[in-house]
Amino acid sequence: MLILETKDLSKRYDGVAALDGLSLGIEAGAVTAVIGPNGSGKSTLVNVLSGVAPKTGGRIAVSGVALGRITASDVAAYGITRTFQEVRLFNQMNVMENLLVVLTEKNVFGAILERHAEKHARRAEELLRKVNLWEKRSELAGGLSYGQRKLLEIARALASGADIYLFDEPFAGLFPEMVKIVEGVLVELRREGKTVVLIEHNMDLIRALADRVVVLDGGKLLAEGATAATLGRREVLEAYLGE
Amino acid sequence: MSILPQLIANSLIAAGTYALIALGFNLIYAATKFFNLAHGAMATAGGYAAFFLLQSFVGINVVLAAALGVLFAGLLGWALDRAVYRELRKRKASNTVLLVASLGVFTVIQAVIAMIFTSQFQTLSGGAADSVYQIGGAAVTETQVIMIAAAVAIAAGLGLLLKKTLLGKEVRAVSDDEEVAKIVGINTERVIGWVFFIGSAIAGLGGILVGFDTGLQPTMGMSLLLRGVIASIVGGVGTVYGAAAGALLLGFVENFGIWKISGEWKDAIAFSLLIVFLVFRPQGIFKR
Ligand SMILES: Nc1ncnc2c1ncn2[C@@H]1O[C@H](COP(=O)(O)OP(=O)(O)OP(=O)(O)O)[C@@H](O)[C@H]1O
Ligand SMILES: [Mg+2]
Repeated sequence: MLILETKDLSKRYDGVAALDGLSLGIEAGAVTAVIGPNGSGKSTLVNVLSGVAPKTGGRIAVSGVALGRITASDVAAYGITRTFQEVRLFNQMNVMENLLVVLTEKNVFGAILERHAEKHARRAEELLRKVNLWEKRSELAGGLSYGQRKLLEIARALASGADIYLFDEPFAGLFPEMVKIVEGVLVELRREGKTVVLIEHNMDLIRALADRVVVLDGGKLLAEGATAATLGRREVLEAYLGE
Repeated sequence: MSILPQLIANSLIAAGTYALIALGFNLIYAATKFFNLAHGAMATAGGYAAFFLLQSFVGINVVLAAALGVLFAGLLGWALDRAVYRELRKRKASNTVLLVASLGVFTVIQAVIAMIFTSQFQTLSGGAADSVYQIGGAAVTETQVIMIAAAVAIAAGLGLLLKKTLLGKEVRAVSDDEEVAKIVGINTERVIGWVFFIGSAIAGLGGILVGFDTGLQPTMGMSLLLRGVIASIVGGVGTVYGAAAGALLLGFVENFGIWKISGEWKDAIAFSLLIVFLVFRPQGIFKR
């Protein structure tokens, strides 16, 4: 089943066609790697799917439902969450609060009196331990190291409890032990039947983690299919070698 | 007898007034990133709402009238956000457009108040003399004591709200990165609505206390707004502590500045402080 579909999707930044008539489908419950040379439109695809950048043409469907437009305010309701290539945290808040603000129920009375505080605190602890940030829980997010910031952003995405996770280069710049943690997170999401879209350059990680691969080039779809077969195709190899 | 205790008292009273304006102004700025100039009119509206109640319902409890005035100012601020600013945000209006719109709103509210209540000077105390306390060599009225206490309590309460409650965390999230706040499922428009309600209600209380202390005039909002804006910038725009610290500094500088010269220089002193900060420390005392 396709949980995310785009049809003739395009996104122009004055003069640049970042996405150029892109039609693709993302399988539910699988890890799909999105690869392509620098500037091929990978981040733009995630930005459009998460309402950060409005599309300039084409259609998007989530779980078979065509959406007229998708804004940042609706993505959570569609069960979509994401991380950013350049990490975006709530920098003035401490590590724990970055998760609690996502975990706590968003109703009018819950807003005044934080309800179920204990349940949420426990879930936040669980997530922070998973990404090895529990010891840092009281530190300001803005003061964390680069890798820790990436891990916290991933934990925050997990806190949303979404069905679809769009990760924009979650491994970039991480130390090996942090790479292991993120790998673990992806494997677990897959086991839970969640859908993962993974933008990644490292082929070893892609072979290890991805069920499917989507290859972009110049905002267009170059290839799409099962990981091993797609990575072996000549046009894919050329796109990478020609970089 | 030394004039010093009275100067200190006057500084604290002024600081209390400015803080009641600056706290809400800064809160709204933190969430929306624009200078809401209509904020001054919320103080005026709160003051006149209480005035209206005291005039219309003779014998009404003063505290009740003040509370309803505060509520009115809060709702007015909320409605203003809903009707004007939110629509502009939807149209992706720039912060400059919002600022100009807020100046327009300020003018309209001020004009409506003048039409209903005339431009005449009014007092909320109805001429009844305020009890005067002698504290450490300074004469302070009951209203002024309430003013200082209210400012301290509200600054502390707002700090707690931001730190401890979910709404507070949501406000800080919106303040840090509104787009990401939306993506993680925070209803940012609702949060901003609350911010306008709370901030405007605090300004309304400021206007009511000024009405009891010195009196009401439709144009009073502008000088309150200017003091609030200066206190915000001096203290550090977008922070609770900044608003409080800026108000305190402004109150002291103004009152000690006119110690040896005429009181007409107050405005000049306030703006000099602003310019000094804009030039030498534009981020204010507390940097966000
Ligand atoms: N906000 C923007 N304004 C203008 N142009 C943009 C913007 N975002 C992306 N682009 C352009 O769109 C094209 C695709 O960029 P995008 O960031 O999607 O590439 P990418 O595949 O994620 O690259 P990388 O591997 O370097 O992250 C590039 O030419 C880029 O310069
Ligand atoms: Mg990118």
